[in-house]
Amino acid sequence: MAQNISPEQSGGAGGSTKHTDDSMPVKDNHAVSKRLHKELMNLMMANEKGISAFPDGENIFKWVGTIAGPLNTVYAGQTYRLSLDFPNSYPYAAPVVKFLTSCFHPNVDLQGSICLDILKDKWSALYDVRTILLSIQSLLGEPNNESPLNAQAAMMWNDQKEYKKYLDAFYEKHKDT
Amino acid sequence: MCDFGALWQDVLKIFPVLGGVIPGTAEPVEETLYENVRRHLQQLGSMETFAAILDLEIQSVIRNVLAPKFWKHFHGDSVPTDLQTCIKDQALVIEALPDKNKLFSQFIDAINELYFSFNSLMQVKPRLEHLIGTENSSALNSAKLLHEDSIKSYLRDSLLSQLPPAFSVVVGAFYWVHFKLYTKASHLALTTVDSEVFDELLCVGCNFDVEQCCCLRLTEMVNKTNMKLFEMNLIDRLTGSALTSLIKLKIKEHINDTCQGIFDRSHLKQLEKWLADVIMTWLKSIFTEWQTKDNAKEAEAPASVQSFKVKLTYYMYETFAQSVIGQFFSIIIDYPDSIPAIDDLKICMEKIDMRVYLTESLRSSLEARILHPGVNTMDILTGYVAAIKAIRHLDQSGVILEMVTAPIKDYLRKRSDTVRRVVTGLTEEGPTDLSEELAKGESIKDGKDSGPDEFSNWENWEPDPFGIDANLMKYNSSKIMRSADIISMVVDIYGSKELFMTEYRNLMADRLLAHLDFNSEKEIRNLELLKIRFGESLLHSCEVMLKDVTDSKRINAHIHGDGNVNENQLFDISSLIISAQFWPSFNKESLQLPEEIENEFKKYTKAYEGYKGNRTLNWRTVTGRVNIVIEIGDRTLDMVVSPTLAVIIYHFQNKSEWAIEELSSITKVPASALRRRISFWQNHGLISESSPGVFTLLEKETEKSQFEEMSLAEADEEDLESAMASASDQREEELQVFWSYIVGMLTNLDSMPIDRIHQMLKLFASHSGGVEFTQDELKHFLQRKVREHKLLFSGGVYQLAK
Repeated sequence: MAQNISPEQSGGAGGSTKHTDDSMPVKDNHAVSKRLHKELMNLMMANEKGISAFPDGENIFKWVGTIAGPLNTVYAGQTYRLSLDFPNSYPYAAPVVKFLTSCFHPNVDLQGSICLDILKDKWSALYDVRTILLSIQSLLGEPNNESPLNAQAAMMWNDQKEYKKYLDAFYEKHKDT
Repeated sequence: MCDFGALWQDVLKIFPVLGGVIPGTAEPVEETLYENVRRHLQQLGSMETFAAILDLEIQSVIRNVLAPKFWKHFHGDSVPTDLQTCIKDQALVIEALPDKNKLFSQFIDAINELYFSFNSLMQVKPRLEHLIGTENSSALNSAKLLHEDSIKSYLRDSLLSQLPPAFSVVVGAFYWVHFKLYTKASHLALTTVDSEVFDELLCVGCNFDVEQCCCLRLTEMVNKTNMKLFEMNLIDRLTGSALTSLIKLKIKEHINDTCQGIFDRSHLKQLEKWLADVIMTWLKSIFTEWQTKDNAKEAEAPASVQSFKVKLTYYMYETFAQSVIGQFFSIIIDYPDSIPAIDDLKICMEKIDMRVYLTESLRSSLEARILHPGVNTMDILTGYVAAIKAIRHLDQSGVILEMVTAPIKDYLRKRSDTVRRVVTGLTEEGPTDLSEELAKGESIKDGKDSGPDEFSNWENWEPDPFGIDANLMKYNSSKIMRSADIISMVVDIYGSKELFMTEYRNLMADRLLAHLDFNSEKEIRNLELLKIRFGESLLHSCEVMLKDVTDSKRINAHIHGDGNVNENQLFDISSLIISAQFWPSFNKESLQLPEEIENEFKKYTKAYEGYKGNRTLNWRTVTGRVNIVIEIGDRTLDMVVSPTLAVIIYHFQNKSEWAIEELSSITKVPASALRRRISFWQNHGLISESSPGVFTLLEKETEKSQFEEMSLAEADEEDLESAMASASDQREEELQVFWSYIVGMLTNLDSMPIDRIHQMLKLFASHSGGVEFTQDELKHFLQRKVREHKLLFSGGVYQLAK
């Protein structure tokens, strides 16, 4: 008998814990999507030049962002698409941001991953989509050559003229992608 | 054996027509001649041949001599050549003929001559009969000439085969004169004949001096001519068509004379009577003059007159209906005084299908008369409401109404002030009677009543009127909608109650602000009536607004009763405390109050804060009323003005000369607006523009300079300006929000079809205000952006323009 009961109880207990596990994210989900809605609204209302983002489909946790290469840098005139994936724990955890457009840059690898402190250990819940995009935009002009993901780019960075030339050739090559 | 020459001479004596001429009066022929000729012919056995030759000869004489001679009368200059070209419109030509009397006598002469020749030809018949003699029955039977009416039909055939086109005009002229004579004689239509055209001295009938009136003689002539025509069997064929068109013309004239512009009584009865009494008796007189002499054919003539009557009655209805339709716009405007005219038209439309004509004509006249920029929106609305009422009276089914009013609706939708006017019409007494309609209450309860009605009432079911574009019917013709009441029809212009209610709210806000001592009972009554019609929820904020006003009064009373506040008070302040949530947004004007005054407001605010914890007041200084007393020189002015005006004059208290920029910076009112306001004081002779841009206080009442007189704007009207942002402005703001979303969307997702854009907006943008947005509206909006070159549209997807 006891044998019969105990699994049920444990099952029940397991169920209840599971239940709380489930309900927590759901509750969070709601709060997170609410926050994301709000961020979207702020972003839309601010209507800032050079940066933009919008949910990619019905799922508000996946966004597509667009940044323009900052003026007076080698990246001026380029437009970059990024993907932003928000975790359920947002804004307590940073979103995963990647370049969709291939980007030749010391802190961006060939898969589009970005090495940016505020997306890693320096993340704070005070950041939002807008600040992320602005940071990435400024990262383009001011790379952190201390910790390069693309060593070639980091090495070439010092000679801006040569860098620009290479960059143009790079984009010529990647035009299709 | 016999002398053919002598025989031919004898034959010619008996039948002069064989010589190819038409004799005058035939001389009597001796019996011996007949005997002689008959004998010879019988000897030759050619009696039948002879009869045949005679027959042919007569035909050829008629064809070659008689007919051309007759037509010669009407060739040449009898009808002006320029008129000959437009023969088709006989009636017009007849009217335009310069000298109808000349044609008249010409016609009579020609007919006389023809008749004379005809008679002499007719003499051939008895002579031939006599010649053949009674015993030769085979020859008698074979002689075609002896058949009844043979000569008549020869004559008719050859005349008609050579009919010149202008002839009907001549006939028309003849009967025109005849009709005039007749109407004069009968005295029945004296008023209808354009008698006023003639000088009093002239006889109405014959156009001669009254002393030498020859009407009787002329009438006799006409009657004789008619008789002759009839005897020759020509009356139908020669005159029928001309007569018809003449009578049509007369009917038209009569309708124009008697019915034009008179809508407040029915005309049909009177017209029918006129047709029977005047036209039909006249026709009868033409066709039956001979009756006394030829009783045998009595039955035939009324039949032809009868068929005329049917034709003419139909024509009269048609003409009348056309005339009414042509004036339908005026009828609409005159409604309900014009109900008899509409009833008349209803009867006509039962007999004749005029629907398409009606809708076309009405649409075009509406477009020409009211749908252009020169007409006030209020007038268009009045016209619209009147049209609804009038056409509904005409056609219960509402189909015509819908067809006709569609352009008005479309047009009104384009006018920016339509909603405002409708709301004004609803709440104030006006020319549109909308307020009356509202007071009738009882909105049509959609569907609920009409559903069972349709079944229980199936015996009274009537099909939709035909002649209406079937496509149009399919689109928008649930019975319910077509039978909707006037208010719904008017509100329907916009297709949305919400927009309408928003505007109502704005106007109510204006009224509440403008008349602080407003008639709250009336407002509440209106509100209740509207609630019945549009539902509680839409009018909730209006209720709050009214409540705000009453609450404010209470709070004012409370604060005024507070001793602390009243100490050292410079002036009384009464506030209207409104709940911003429920009131429409205000326009963005600003006004900086002078410090001294502002302090007073602060005191009031403090008192309010004391009274209602946790709450404070945000003053809206532009709106409101100020009672001021101005003492200047030896004058004292006591007036109620808007705060801006009061502040302006307040600043002149301490300093009598201000540059406009200076004043603008201190009051925070833009210079241009300020200048307009100042003109109010200029009008009152308190301030003058001493030099451009500089305003000086006038201590004494002086005469205004010429320059000022001209430049003074009508400042009073400024007061009427709305303090609210209009509904369309608000909508524009909302659309702007959506636009940012659309830009964001398309920046990141490149290109999207409209349904996806719509879906995304619903998902993500509706949080920013909960505004509903139909796909149609979106499409409109996107298309506008395409036109503004902000978007590209290709392959079904939208894209940002680079």
